[in-house]
Amino acid sequence: MSSEKQDWLSAASDNRHISDTELDQLLRQPELQQKLERYQLAAAIFRQEKTAPLPENFSADIAALLQDEPTYQLSQSRSLLQKVAAGLHYAANGSWLKPAAQGAVAASVALFAVLGVQQYQQPLEQELLLPSPVLQTNPIGGFATPVSLSSTTADSRFVEQEQQAMQEQQRRLQALLHAHRQQVRTMEQDKATTGQENEQ
Amino acid sequence: MSKVVSFCCTLLLLCSSLLQADEAGWALFERVQQSVKQYNFDSSFVVFKGSQVETFRWQHGRKGDKEIEHLVPLDAEGVDILRRDGVVYYFLTDRPALVTYSNTIKELPAILFQNSQQIRQLYTAVPGSSMVMSGHTAQLLRLSATDPGRHSYWLWIEAESGFPLRIDVMSEQQAPLERWLVTHMRISAEFPDNLQRLLDSELPEPAPRAAGARLPDTQLQLTWLPAGYQLVDTPYVAPQLQQNLLSYWLLTDGLHQVSVFVQPSQRMPTQAYRDGATTIYMLSAAQHDITVIGPVSIDVAERLAGAVR
Repeated sequence: MSSEKQDWLSAASDNRHISDTELDQLLRQPELQQKLERYQLAAAIFRQEKTAPLPENFSADIAALLQDEPTYQLSQSRSLLQKVAAGLHYAANGSWLKPAAQGAVAASVALFAVLGVQQYQQPLEQELLLPSPVLQTNPIGGFATPVSLSSTTADSRFVEQEQQAMQEQQRRLQALLHAHRQQVRTMEQDKATTGQENEQ
Repeated sequence: MSKVVSFCCTLLLLCSSLLQADEAGWALFERVQQSVKQYNFDSSFVVFKGSQVETFRWQHGRKGDKEIEHLVPLDAEGVDILRRDGVVYYFLTDRPALVTYSNTIKELPAILFQNSQQIRQLYTAVPGSSMVMSGHTAQLLRLSATDPGRHSYWLWIEAESGFPLRIDVMSEQQAPLERWLVTHMRISAEFPDNLQRLLDSELPEPAPRAAGARLPDTQLQLTWLPAGYQLVDTPYVAPQLQQNLLSYWLLTDGLHQVSVFVQPSQRMPTQAYRDGATTIYMLSAAQHDITVIGPVSIDVAERLAGAVR
């Protein structure tokens, strides 16, 4: 009997067909289920499968773990409502305008300013929209080397200095682009303030 | 004689059909402007600038005479832009909020919000063909600039609602410089709950701006303006630019803004860049560098820089 049991259980562990009676027997007897689990594990190891079969009480264990898990509040901790509720009752417009060098300008704000100028080294082939861009984030020369510079004949130190100067120039243009964007954002503020003063 | 009469009749017919097309175009444009001001909607859009893509979520609600919209750049954490009627708030994590007076969020396409009468003076409006876009029937509307040097706009408009589905900013050569594309859009009759809470929230008041930079006295003048542009009186100069700025002008045609900066010369070669539809042109002269930044063609930027004397 024991040998017979092992035969069909072994066959079942290899995903072979078992009869209805054997299936009923398996569902009724926990010791047979544990044995099948062990057979499956051994078979998986023999087959060098990377994923071992799940243990019989896997779902029960997970359910138990979930029960012990603390409740997390998935209420969008970064939502604007929370920020507002947290007391953003100040508006230091002056300090908001500070340049990157003077403080931590959030990358997110710089998003609107630091756009094209830093991307000038990307090859033209990468352009998505323009097969033949005129100036798409690229200098006139197509890359960041100054037009006047001949990289094949110039001394490497000179090239380095030129590149540094070019980078400095990029930073300067970036600051101006940021200032322009900021100007556009706030240009109606003065008009509104003047209007309010006149009303008073 | 009969030839002259028939020529005149043909000309009249042509003019009349052109005028009709223009009026139909402007009627469609008014519908677009109405849709983004009147509907409660929740949408997402992407902005293509060359090889760069930015993604945003844009919500809008109107309740009686109260209007609110919320724009979130999805590629940047911790930024929220909110407009409640005439006040715009830029909320940032760990930084003070920027609060400004404005009836529009400047990170949204200005063409959707600026006074249509002003836009009529700068563009002609011609409806184009229809196409299916993301499952919606979209009608093309071409706003062609009447002056060379100003970018044109091609708008694809959802036929049923009038909501803009796509806006291409086109160069004079009809090449797309920047593309604004709606990826998801849901219009609803109900005012969204989250916008209601934001409408009820107490928000900071706009603070007066810090004193602008005082620029040195120079003899420099801007001797030419592009067609349709005017100088903005006493534009604000950010204090951080004081050290490096000799002169500054801000120009506007009511829809676009162009900045002209003059700085001490760095003896670098003349350069030009493009950030989407925005041209950045730096002219290196003997005494100073002139940088022009704005949505104009390279020719206009070059001429503007050359007009500083």
